[in-house]
Amino acid sequence: MNPAEAFFRKNSWRVCRRNLLAWQKYAWSSVTINIIEPLVYFLAFGYGLGAYFTYGVHGSLLQYIGPGMLGLTAVNSATFDAAWGGYERLTNNGVYESMVTAPVAPEEIAAGEYIWQAFRATLYGAIFLGVIASLGLVHSWLALLCLPVLALTGVLFAIPALYMAFIVKTPEHLFYYFALIATPMVMFGGVFFPLDKLPRWAFDIAWCTPLYHAVNACRALVTGSATWTTLAEVGWLVAAIAVLVWLPHAALRRRLGN
Amino acid sequence: MSLAFAVTASELTKRYGSIEAVRGIDFSIRRQECFGFLGVNGAGKTTTMKMVYCRIGKTSGRLHVLGLDASAHAGEIKRRIGVVAQQNALDPELTVMENLLTYAAFFDIARVAARTRSDSLLRRLSLEGKQDARIKDLSGGMQRRLVIAKALLNDPEMLVLDEPTTGLDPQARLMVWEMLSALRAQGLTLVLTTHDMDEAARLCDRLAIMDEGRIFAEGSPRELISIYAARDVLELAGGDEVPGDGDIGALIVRRERHGSTAYLYNDDNRTLLRALAARGIDPARHVARPATLEDVFLNITGRDLAE
Repeated sequence: MNPAEAFFRKNSWRVCRRNLLAWQKYAWSSVTINIIEPLVYFLAFGYGLGAYFTYGVHGSLLQYIGPGMLGLTAVNSATFDAAWGGYERLTNNGVYESMVTAPVAPEEIAAGEYIWQAFRATLYGAIFLGVIASLGLVHSWLALLCLPVLALTGVLFAIPALYMAFIVKTPEHLFYYFALIATPMVMFGGVFFPLDKLPRWAFDIAWCTPLYHAVNACRALVTGSATWTTLAEVGWLVAAIAVLVWLPHAALRRRLGN
Repeated sequence: MSLAFAVTASELTKRYGSIEAVRGIDFSIRRQECFGFLGVNGAGKTTTMKMVYCRIGKTSGRLHVLGLDASAHAGEIKRRIGVVAQQNALDPELTVMENLLTYAAFFDIARVAARTRSDSLLRRLSLEGKQDARIKDLSGGMQRRLVIAKALLNDPEMLVLDEPTTGLDPQARLMVWEMLSALRAQGLTLVLTTHDMDEAARLCDRLAIMDEGRIFAEGSPRELISIYAARDVLELAGGDEVPGDGDIGALIVRRERHGSTAYLYNDDNRTLLRALAARGIDPARHVARPATLEDVFLNITGRDLAE
């Protein structure tokens, strides 16, 4: 089954509904954690550091990192739930085991997880968007288009996190992914500062990471400066998904197959 | 493929790297019978079951389940069978009812029908009133019954159970046995594994005795006992030598010795004891009992610990 086909299978959506059902039981704590944490960073940097300097042509710190944190909210929500949750559902509690006893293919499980991470990223992103809008940092109705961008960001970041969850031997190994891959991507993804003063090679590496494009797109939509380049950023996300989407499928088939 | 058989396997093999877990076994399971795989841990029972319920693929050989090639039609087979795996696959984040409804949905069972069926299965397995309980709040026996309820949601033609009663207390075990007997009486095909001889004798129409990835014997419990044991067995403790000639030799069908105990298989313990007494052999410490599947099993696989 190819990944695109799996998105249209009923059982993929039922896998997502299972996650929704489990999530409803701790929804409030999940929302609180996923919103409060980025909000604290945002306010501390925006108002605290922002009181001392601005980013010149890029505007105030508050205005700069608001949409950046918006993208980050999607990244965090997808990364942690896909990595820890995916590991738990595969290994410890028989969630996937039960699914493959029923006629659910590993590809449908992976597709269900993507749909679920898209939903989470969009929901948490929407709440954060509401927060920055209430602070007067949203300048265009185009900002609503951030939601599909965040959904794509959620899927894209769920891919490596799920892949790691499906290949590690112990959950502690997930920290390698968080520390060596996820955190550097976040710190150098254009969330907190513009990348134009970095050495060329550092910028080139950042360009190759997905968060950079997600954040650029969100910032352009929120500030109302969207152009055709913004569409190219979204295209970059879609292309990356198309290339990487196979990874967790293969790993999950190995774990649940033989 | 004959429709008289629920499962047929020939030269079925499963290899994990250099380990051959199942080594070219042949068996056929008839529709509407209860078929058991009997063996110690590591005999290859679970691997065989996993191939039957399409959880893993075979390495070589042929395997048909409900007339369908298991490697080509896994989805269709899963739709038509029920599975009770060795480890309870229950979702700890969902309630009992949510577990059932979520599972039923994967079989395209409509919500209302799934609800009705879940209610009736919970009643049938004495789990009524537990709909909203979390899995961790259920006892081991309740969890096992819930797994059986799940396996019956899709109204399967065949139920595959891997060690259905291992770890259950006697009451829970009895209840599962009664449930399985009732299902068999309704015409469901049952396939199970066990290392419990009592369970095998009680439930199974036919048995395959497995050891080290091979099937060593196959037949009804009665057939197996008559072939590999006898009606009765006289256990003699101590090193008493029993003559193998004359009328006594004729009475003893088969002899086994384990440590200092001699096992004399014969067709009537009373006759044998009388004949021994007539020869002046009066075994002070002896156990006279009917032969059981346990004797069959030990005679086939050996009385010494393999580990």
